[in-house]
Amino acid sequence: MRLSAILLLLLAFTLAAPSRVDTAKTFGNPAAPITLELFSDYQCPACRAFHMQILPPLMREFVFPGRAYLVYKEFPLNQHSHAKEAATYAVAAARVGKYEQVGDALFQNQNTWEASGKIFDSIASALTPAEQKKVQALVKDPSVISEVDQDVQEGMLERVNETPTMIIIRGQKKYPIAGPPNYTFLRSLLNDLAK
Amino acid sequence: MTSPSKILKIVLFLLRVGIGGVFVYAAWIKLREPWMLFAISIDAYHLLPEWAVTVVARTLPWVELAAGLLLIAGRWKRVSTVSVSALLALFFAMMVRAYARGEAIDCGCFGPGEAISPWTLLRDGSLLGGSLLLTVIAFRRPRKPEPLTAENLAESSYRPA
Repeated sequence: MRLSAILLLLLAFTLAAPSRVDTAKTFGNPAAPITLELFSDYQCPACRAFHMQILPPLMREFVFPGRAYLVYKEFPLNQHSHAKEAATYAVAAARVGKYEQVGDALFQNQNTWEASGKIFDSIASALTPAEQKKVQALVKDPSVISEVDQDVQEGMLERVNETPTMIIIRGQKKYPIAGPPNYTFLRSLLNDLAK
Repeated sequence: MTSPSKILKIVLFLLRVGIGGVFVYAAWIKLREPWMLFAISIDAYHLLPEWAVTVVARTLPWVELAAGLLLIAGRWKRVSTVSVSALLALFFAMMVRAYARGEAIDCGCFGPGEAISPWTLLRDGSLLGGSLLLTVIAFRRPRKPEPLTAENLAESSYRPA
């Protein structure tokens, strides 16, 4: 009887829990029919366009309702001199639960830090003073730097050669989409795959 | 001893079957995936409005399939070689334009995941060269005469009024 009650309570908690997983660099329902792996570079203008124009409706229509599971991956390109440092700041911010906010700040202020090279100045406002200290310490942490490198390795294994590249995963099938896609067609595709 | 014309025949046969095979493969890759994937690749070139992208994405793989099969079968050689050459010339021009403008986009040739690069330009340029050669030869050779059948003979024979 007690076991049934505990199980029921657990089930009710699971059902009531929000679908958005607020851990590190993933959003949405891990059990969603489709997973979207987004390989992105904070210094790339096309990634900024994707972040500003495609991501908001994508999150609203597919990720937050639990129809897709979004996984961010860092893919700083060699030709962008500050991209790896920016990715390291983003991963460090993920460790204090501020990945999304810092990612937004990086894209919004892309032109500023790209010109000055002062990345931290552009993201500081997204963090509390305590978080700022933690993030500044974390960017030097080898495990944070290694996480960026691991994402790049994963991207290379997936034959990512440009950013942004979004890999749509449905079961065993993978559909890579390079560049910011037309949202009308992307929505139609995701609706078809998420059935 | 193999005569030069025999060698040429073999080369042309291999070229025809090779290019036809490439077209059938490209069509099959696109047809087995949702059409929206191909639409996203076409749209990346920023050449067509959305409605036209939809039409092209839904029909072009079938055109590629038909043209490829005709080329392999060696039927309607003038129609098939002209169709394939026209399609390849169009694809090649679009790819050169995108590459020259520095657009980092997928070529969309064999489904998603292949960026336009010097390699894709070389490949499509070579295919275009081969198909143009087949087209020229298809038009230089006289059409095969109608086979002599009783029906044809009756139709062509003189009938007094």
